[in-house]
Amino acid sequence: MFILKNAWISIKRNKGRNILIGIIILIIACACTITLAIKNTAVDLINSYKSAYDKEVTIGFNRENMMKDFDPSQEEGRESAREKFENIASYTISDVEKFADSDYIESYYYTYGVGLNGNSIKKAEIESNSNMPNGFGHGKENNMSETDFTLTGYSSEDAMSEFISGAYTMSEITDNAWDIAFNGNYVFINEELASYNNLKLNDKIKLEDEDGNVYEFEIIGIFKENEDDNQGAMSMFSNSVNTIITNSDAVVNLTNGNENLKASIYPTFIIDSYDNVEKLQDEFYEKGLDENFILQTNEELAESGVASVKNILSFSTTFLVITLIIGGIVLFVINMINIRERKYEIGVLRTIGISKLKLTMQFVAELVIVSVVALTLGTGIGAVSSKGVSNSLLANEINSSNEKTEEVNKNFGGMNRGGEKGTMHGKGMPVVQAYDSIDAVVDIKVLLELLSIGISLVLVSSIASMVSIQRFSPLTILKERS
Amino acid sequence: MANMKKNNYGSKDSLGKNVSSKEIKIKNKVNKDISKKKEKKEVKEKNTSPKDIILSIKNASYRYSDAEEDDYALKNVSFDFECGKLYAIRGRSGSGKTTLLSLISGLEKCTEGEIIFDGKSLKDMNLDKYRNSDIGIVFQSYNLLPFMTAVENIILSMDVNGLKIKNKKEKAIELMEKVGLKASYANRKVLRLSGGEQQRVAIARSLSYNPKMIIADEPTGNLDKQTETEILEIFKKLAHEENKCVIIVTHSQNVCDTVDKIYDLKKVKEK
Repeated sequence: MFILKNAWISIKRNKGRNILIGIIILIIACACTITLAIKNTAVDLINSYKSAYDKEVTIGFNRENMMKDFDPSQEEGRESAREKFENIASYTISDVEKFADSDYIESYYYTYGVGLNGNSIKKAEIESNSNMPNGFGHGKENNMSETDFTLTGYSSEDAMSEFISGAYTMSEITDNAWDIAFNGNYVFINEELASYNNLKLNDKIKLEDEDGNVYEFEIIGIFKENEDDNQGAMSMFSNSVNTIITNSDAVVNLTNGNENLKASIYPTFIIDSYDNVEKLQDEFYEKGLDENFILQTNEELAESGVASVKNILSFSTTFLVITLIIGGIVLFVINMINIRERKYEIGVLRTIGISKLKLTMQFVAELVIVSVVALTLGTGIGAVSSKGVSNSLLANEINSSNEKTEEVNKNFGGMNRGGEKGTMHGKGMPVVQAYDSIDAVVDIKVLLELLSIGISLVLVSSIASMVSIQRFSPLTILKERS
Repeated sequence: MANMKKNNYGSKDSLGKNVSSKEIKIKNKVNKDISKKKEKKEVKEKNTSPKDIILSIKNASYRYSDAEEDDYALKNVSFDFECGKLYAIRGRSGSGKTTLLSLISGLEKCTEGEIIFDGKSLKDMNLDKYRNSDIGIVFQSYNLLPFMTAVENIILSMDVNGLKIKNKKEKAIELMEKVGLKASYANRKVLRLSGGEQQRVAIARSLSYNPKMIIADEPTGNLDKQTETEILEIFKKLAHEENKCVIIVTHSQNVCDTVDKIYDLKKVKEK
């Protein structure tokens, strides 16, 4: 008890020095509060952004594996490579379902495509031979390039990546389109195809397979392909002009019982962690995936979106470290001077029998009392100002977050498709949080971090007093004084 | 009452005052008591046994850590100190007086030999506890904390000792009065006190936890003759009336004339 009493007497006696120490700790606490609040907010933002881009895995060609024996200078080599490419065993919906039955996979969706010819409508002529969307056409089962139209079935909204990315934008849509789009023979068609065949919403179109079976669909939406995303289109029509979008069940129904109607599937698996991709790939191979396929992730894409926040995170971490180092050194020096000035006091106290431990405790207690007051004030000031500072630092990120949300909503026809206000709905698509401001909160985590910083600062700056008290000989001190 | 205590410590003489018969009776009783005590003391002195020895220095030698192997500050010193006696350790400058005091007070440790206090070797004792319970130290330069008042300095020493009494301040003021300081000085910062007054505060501080032994290093070195006499009277009283062992390190003849026994320290190495 007398240690605290003496500590308090010393604090009152050395007001100037303790106010100086207090101001330094207050500045450090204030800077640390703001920095930690920004750091934690930035981490939250990164996590939120990454979760917006669900951890996706798709199946792609293992080009390295396919090309390892390929010699382009030899005719035989080219033939062998072509043959190898054609012999790659493709996968079916049941394979995808089998692959998806894994502990590493949280959910999955897929796009299912089939080639059909026009019956009641005509194909819009384009110079390009291919009318397939990106990602299709692998495997020997593909025969869509020989047909008029590609009927692409999506398993869910999540699978409609062209709309999410902005490659397609809905220009006209029926009021109940999203209620019925995945239950029956309903389609979205390209506005150029609609214009070419004079089609409008709620019109019915007929398509037929090579065996002459006719299938009827109702138009519930008309989309356009954005020019920016129409790379390499040389004709008056876009690449997607003959692509007709429906749901995967509709395509499955068409292919069931019709062996000649071959379809291609493009699955996307949502996984729990990027760390498990290799294990998942091995599992896929065990389940029969051809070794010429590999698993690809969207990790790079997710990372690229948070580059600016990462810069702020890195800046705040560096600033925090520098503040702590400089603050620690300044406090250490002040305490060293303090100890030197109070040598006589130490000598007297040691002479009258106060132990080194108790004396050290008294000096530490003085610093703790000053630190607690300064840390409390600094944290308070930091908490008040952290929101404003972090919002100004993260202003660009807030804007891009808002723009992204608006853009994705616009691509789907500006409809609120059941998601919460301000967020996009469904898995697989970027669930980008629309931030009006970054709520850099000084929460319990920040307070605990500050507490540990405070303890560390007190300990670091007390080292001077601890060491000096151990080293000082009371007799020498008193002799010097005499 | 305060005046009586002052008289007891010899600061003033109260002769010439008119006294009542009751007061005379009391005075006579006190005188009888004192003479009885003196008789007892004399008997005790004649029959000094090892039991009465509170401190025993046995072949103590001390060499500074940076000194040459045979360059001792103190060599083979053997002294015994008893309770109820006033001792002087005398010697020329450099004879090792202060070194011996540091060894006795546990501020330094013997290089060779040992010091036994109350039957225990200092080597086996907690020296902090020893300093704040068993002995009181008084320095030539008082070594009071200047930012504290007189009474705070005394209370601090009680706190360090862990003394658990309710009114420490009252006890401290009592001690101040015992060494001839007015109670009104209690809340005065020590720097505002004279040298003699500061030394009295230092003595009161050393008595605050009632130690068995008082060690004083040139306690009157900075004081005038009159004050020196008064301070010596306090030490004498502590030794003879409170049965404490008082050791004064000095080169003052006045001190040597007052004490019961003198130990001489000679220079270890004359050049």
